[in-house]
Amino acid sequence: MAPELRPTMNGSGAASHAAASAVRRFASAFAARHWWFTVGMSVFAVIAALLLLTPWISPHDPAALDLRMRMASPGPQHWLGTDHLGRDVLSRLLEGGRFSVSIALVTLLLSVGIGTMLGALSARIGGLFDEALMRVVDLLLSFPEVVVALFLIAVLGPGYGTLVLALTITGWTPFARMSRGLALEVNAQDYIAAAEVLGCRRRFIVLRHLIPNLARPIAAIIFLRFGHKLITVGGLSFLGLGVQPPGSDWGAMLADARPYMERMPLLAIAPGLTIFLTALSVTMVGQGLEISADRRMATAAGRRPRGKQPEQGER
Amino acid sequence: MAPFIARRFAVLLLTLLAVSVLCFALPYLSEADPARSILRARVSDLAIDADAVEGLKAKYGLDRPLAVQYASWIGNVARGDFGYSFTNRLPVSDQIGSALRVSATLALTSLAIALVAAFPLGTVAAVRPGGRVDNVVTFVTQSLVALPEYWLGPLAILVFALHLGWLPSAGWLEPAHIVMPACVLALRPLAYFTRVARASMLDVLNAPYMTAARSRGLSLAHSIVAHGLRNATPPVMTLFGIWLAGLIGGAVVIEVIFAIPGMGRLVYSAVVNHDIPLLQAGVVCIVALAVAINTVADLLYLALNPTLRVSRHGA
Repeated sequence: MAPELRPTMNGSGAASHAAASAVRRFASAFAARHWWFTVGMSVFAVIAALLLLTPWISPHDPAALDLRMRMASPGPQHWLGTDHLGRDVLSRLLEGGRFSVSIALVTLLLSVGIGTMLGALSARIGGLFDEALMRVVDLLLSFPEVVVALFLIAVLGPGYGTLVLALTITGWTPFARMSRGLALEVNAQDYIAAAEVLGCRRRFIVLRHLIPNLARPIAAIIFLRFGHKLITVGGLSFLGLGVQPPGSDWGAMLADARPYMERMPLLAIAPGLTIFLTALSVTMVGQGLEISADRRMATAAGRRPRGKQPEQGER
Repeated sequence: MAPFIARRFAVLLLTLLAVSVLCFALPYLSEADPARSILRARVSDLAIDADAVEGLKAKYGLDRPLAVQYASWIGNVARGDFGYSFTNRLPVSDQIGSALRVSATLALTSLAIALVAAFPLGTVAAVRPGGRVDNVVTFVTQSLVALPEYWLGPLAILVFALHLGWLPSAGWLEPAHIVMPACVLALRPLAYFTRVARASMLDVLNAPYMTAARSRGLSLAHSIVAHGLRNATPPVMTLFGIWLAGLIGGAVVIEVIFAIPGMGRLVYSAVVNHDIPLLQAGVVCIVALAVAINTVADLLYLALNPTLRVSRHGA
């Protein structure tokens, strides 16, 4: 039986069973997802755990040069070998991931906050504000974010803050558009009218009624945009405009590896593969979320995905 | 229709004006001293002579108030004159002109590749949603989005240029030079186009006129070609516009890797060399292009889809 066909009993459980039922609900929510969600989430959890634990598990100092051990092949001492300056590749992968992945995460959190709020407000205020905001969104959507980043790097100099600012300036637009659209839908509902009649303040309505309804589709975009951010950060580092020399990230490692690709392909394959796997796993999470959201909507609307049993979903 | 277009153009002009102010002023406001950065760009010498700095300021009119500089700059820009590059002293407009042509060629080629591949893929996936083909296509599109082009580009050079010798490695002289960068650049738009083509084809396949076509005895393939494609096209074309604006100027990494003298590499070199006139002109042109393409795409969308005309006009 498809899990979403069960009546939802949120909050009706007895208090003593609250903890147990929370665990069970979490487990069943996980199991109800598309397998893409499960696989992507598992892979990303491993990567995230490794990156969080880096200070303790990193086998070597990522910046330590060992010129006698240049371009060493993988072995017991250096699991993934060493680069052209004798630095341990595995330690550098771990250290470098912290830079790009954290920038992608911080940027997305800021973008979600700004975009969702602006979109929801825009839907409620309407009029000229709405019109102007949507024009800005249209413009920024078609504007290459690398160019915004390059411009800001020229103005502010390269750095963590510059990258976050540049990616947030272009990154909030999909969230604003999505939350505006959903908010317009929700605003037409009777319970909003009821809240207004009861004299609730506008901010209360936005926080209490709008935001909770926006959560799931917004979460899907977060996961779908993550890979894009990660790749953009890596690209700027590849060009030498992201992370600056003592530090390093996957893009910078790829740039370092370019002259030695033929002699030691692993130097170029390892960082590229980590970017790919990280981006792919998070994208899979997003796609899985989107599918289960679609499926829920399809079920709610009483229409079945064509010719397939519900487990297979629409995508 | 006419008032809508007129308002659209007014907004367009206002946007461009605002953007030009930002692009002009920001590099000056933040940079400690533009004259010093000119000297640094030209001689890359740390011992900068104070007389030379004053001389340059007078020569380029950098000692005037910023508002006056902007007024004369925008006046010249309106006549197509962006001034002279700080580094190689060539007219900026000439450099932009040739770079735009190169980038437009590259962008259109790779988007054409993406379009040609996306429609069959999206259609095949949409025919049996949730089926095996659909799953494979979705997984492939996810992987393409997660592939960093600065990984694929150098690897492609290694394999196809150095090992197999089929294609030239980098540069922009003969038609063969466009093959590798265009293919690598096409992958991400290909993924997004396929996703949208699939979604809109899914809608189309459920439409009553498709059932009508099928019940008249048309085969599935015939009805898709005769009715489906035309109706599934507009959403993909909207995306095409967004990507076209994004790739002319946004293909920085690819243009740097493959040594292509396009807009992206021009802006990148302007950032690296602190070449302010080139940076201002490059960013203004890319924004102007994005705005123009956006407007044209909107109008085309309106022209292609008569059902939108009435509601927009009435609003």
